[in-house]
Amino acid sequence: MAFTLGYHILLVPLGVALPTLTLVMEGIGLARKDGVALLIARRWSVVMGVQFAVGAVTGTILSFEFGILWPKMLGRFGAAFGLGFAIEGWAFFLEAIFISIYLYGWNRLRPRTHFLLGLVLPPSGLLGAFGVLAANSWMNTPGGVTLKPNGVLDVDVWAALFTKALTYEFWHFTIAIYLTAGFAVASIYAVAWLRGRRDRYQRLAFGVPFTIAAALAPVQWIVGDLSARALTFDQPAKFAAMEITWQTRSNNPEVIGGLIDSGGNVHLGVAIPSLDSILVGLSPSTIVRGLSSFAENARPDAIESNLTHLSFDLMVGLGTAALLLTIWYFTVLVRRRRLPESRWFYRLAALGGVGAYVTVEAGWVTTEVGRQPWIVYGAMRVADAVTNASPVFLWSMLGTLIVVYAGIAFFFVTLLLRLSRRWRREDEAGGTEPSGARGLPYAPRPRAVE
Amino acid sequence: MNVTLAYLIAAVLLLAVTAYSTAGGVDFGAGIWDLLAGGGERGRRARELIDRSMAPVWEVNNVWLVLAIVLCWTGFPILFERVFLSLYPLFSVALVGLVLRGAFFAFRHVAENPREHRIADYVFGISSVVTPFFFAMSLGAIASGRVGAPGVSAWDASVSPMSIAFGLVSVCATALSGATFLIGDARREQAAELVEYFRTRTLIAAGALIVVGTGALAAISGERRELVTSMASFPAVAFVAIVMVLTPTVALLVWRRWFAWYRILTVAAVGSLVTAWGVAQSPYLLPGRLTIEQAAAPLGTEVLLAVVAGVVVLVIGPSIGFLLYLDQKSALEPQH
Repeated sequence: MAFTLGYHILLVPLGVALPTLTLVMEGIGLARKDGVALLIARRWSVVMGVQFAVGAVTGTILSFEFGILWPKMLGRFGAAFGLGFAIEGWAFFLEAIFISIYLYGWNRLRPRTHFLLGLVLPPSGLLGAFGVLAANSWMNTPGGVTLKPNGVLDVDVWAALFTKALTYEFWHFTIAIYLTAGFAVASIYAVAWLRGRRDRYQRLAFGVPFTIAAALAPVQWIVGDLSARALTFDQPAKFAAMEITWQTRSNNPEVIGGLIDSGGNVHLGVAIPSLDSILVGLSPSTIVRGLSSFAENARPDAIESNLTHLSFDLMVGLGTAALLLTIWYFTVLVRRRRLPESRWFYRLAALGGVGAYVTVEAGWVTTEVGRQPWIVYGAMRVADAVTNASPVFLWSMLGTLIVVYAGIAFFFVTLLLRLSRRWRREDEAGGTEPSGARGLPYAPRPRAVE
Repeated sequence: MNVTLAYLIAAVLLLAVTAYSTAGGVDFGAGIWDLLAGGGERGRRARELIDRSMAPVWEVNNVWLVLAIVLCWTGFPILFERVFLSLYPLFSVALVGLVLRGAFFAFRHVAENPREHRIADYVFGISSVVTPFFFAMSLGAIASGRVGAPGVSAWDASVSPMSIAFGLVSVCATALSGATFLIGDARREQAAELVEYFRTRTLIAAGALIVVGTGALAAISGERRELVTSMASFPAVAFVAIVMVLTPTVALLVWRRWFAWYRILTVAAVGSLVTAWGVAQSPYLLPGRLTIEQAAAPLGTEVLLAVVAGVVVLVIGPSIGFLLYLDQKSALEPQH
């Protein structure tokens, strides 16, 4: 389950945010009658289509897996946990319809109509993300359910949908989506710059997504900080694991790197005195709750704590690196009124795409592993949620899925590489009419009589 | 209030399953004919037609499936738990089939040599048979009353004469849907030879559906007589009658080459087949064990589901209409 969820989350940034980037580009193209921008938008939309197809497949797998692996959790709490998914299911439906229209509509609808119809995509993507985050937040800070004396669950819909964690999870993740998509798309064109491509096409395709991502990086830093601080109230055990804090104490140091053992001793790592306390309560005397203050069956074990802690550090570290890169970018942009021209800038920007994905994954590990051993925080343990199916069955299922997913990943990457090679050839040939999506699996049909 | 709503949600759930069976059926059916097309020039041309006709509907069908699952676990959590605890073997196979199908349909477009192409064709074709078979088996297993029965293992719940009967019926029904829609696509391309090709196949599939369907009824009455009884009484009998009238009608139309209404009537027949089962089983979700009322989620959840469904019908209905309108107008195809 973790494997499939962890995989699916990688598809989310491009899935939700690429339509927005594409529309911004199409908007620029239409407003300025810029053929280059339109060409870029057209090509991005092809990637968007392939990406959506892959996302639909892994999404379908996921919905079944909830049943195959965690039937008891859904049987018990489905009425509350499922609410978000009910919204997501319909949003996904809407998105499927309008992506079809958008992809098939290029050059076949009037440009303005095409653009306006495309505007449905970002909100429906966000609505879907909202639904899933509502479900995840519910697992972290369950609310809106009361157990009646006769054993029946009563659900207060609003309370179950808008749980405490949703406020920060939603903003933190939504910004992360746009940030990641922006850095990822820009990184491709950073590589193009390094290879010597310096035309208008490269500048636009790099500049637009990078600027969007760069504008969001500082915001994310603040939202991330607020989220972590909220955790000290909502999920103190998770927070203790993130900071590998063992004893409840004031003047708690911030440990960077390092590992904790099951006896509470911290090895390696750099400890900055009192910093954790200062970050939590703005004063060294702030008391931070430690892992040892929770019962052993209600807190992450040593391995889970270390995983949570290191992922958290990785996420914060990479986020900070992104912030510095952004400062560099804006400094050049404002003072020289042009894009940076340093090779090192583009090298870092090229790494930024991968870095952003690693950051998303690290953030996900932090929130999911940090919740262990609970599947629903404080209400149900993972062990009580799983199926009775035999381990042999589960392992063979996992094996099959790994093979299938590797296949999908291979297919996706191969396809993108083939596309990029073809587009480069086209550009070098100097043709103006884009071949767009020819020969793609989910592309407009080729001419019937050929 | 709660009961009415629960029935409403159950109806939407049945609708999603029906929509998946009909819309997805057309798609799976095309895959079945792809598998049976064989080598040679004629087979190649049939495959190309199948390719072209499958491309524009792509993932919209999976959406129905996701929707059904989500409605089930939110609206009827206990049903979801019991069904998956018993039938996970069936769903696992169907799921793998579903993924392989999509992946290899896409893969054969980028396959670079004939060998890769052949492998992709086979995997795509075989998984097009396996997937609907196993999904329908799970419906049959639910209908057999074995799901959630005490002391019945997952294996016994999953595999029974009834579940196999459901599976076989679904393969025939999808083959029929696929063939009729391919006639339509061949006609649109004015490929007379392919029209004849799929006309023969429509007739074969319709015949198979009638024979296998009759056999399935025998299997059902052997295992669960109550279901046959309620299928023979109002209101389910209306849907049964529709299936019994429409299937031969489609065959007749296609046989006489009166190419009008044959597709919509096929959809109605296949849809009624699923609906007949669902209506006959109500008020039970799991026959003899769990009623719609017992399984329903708390009132608040049901209200939200109904509201969301209502809003979406207002938005999605027109959107689908618009998509179909553009498709019919050929606004989404290159101008000739």
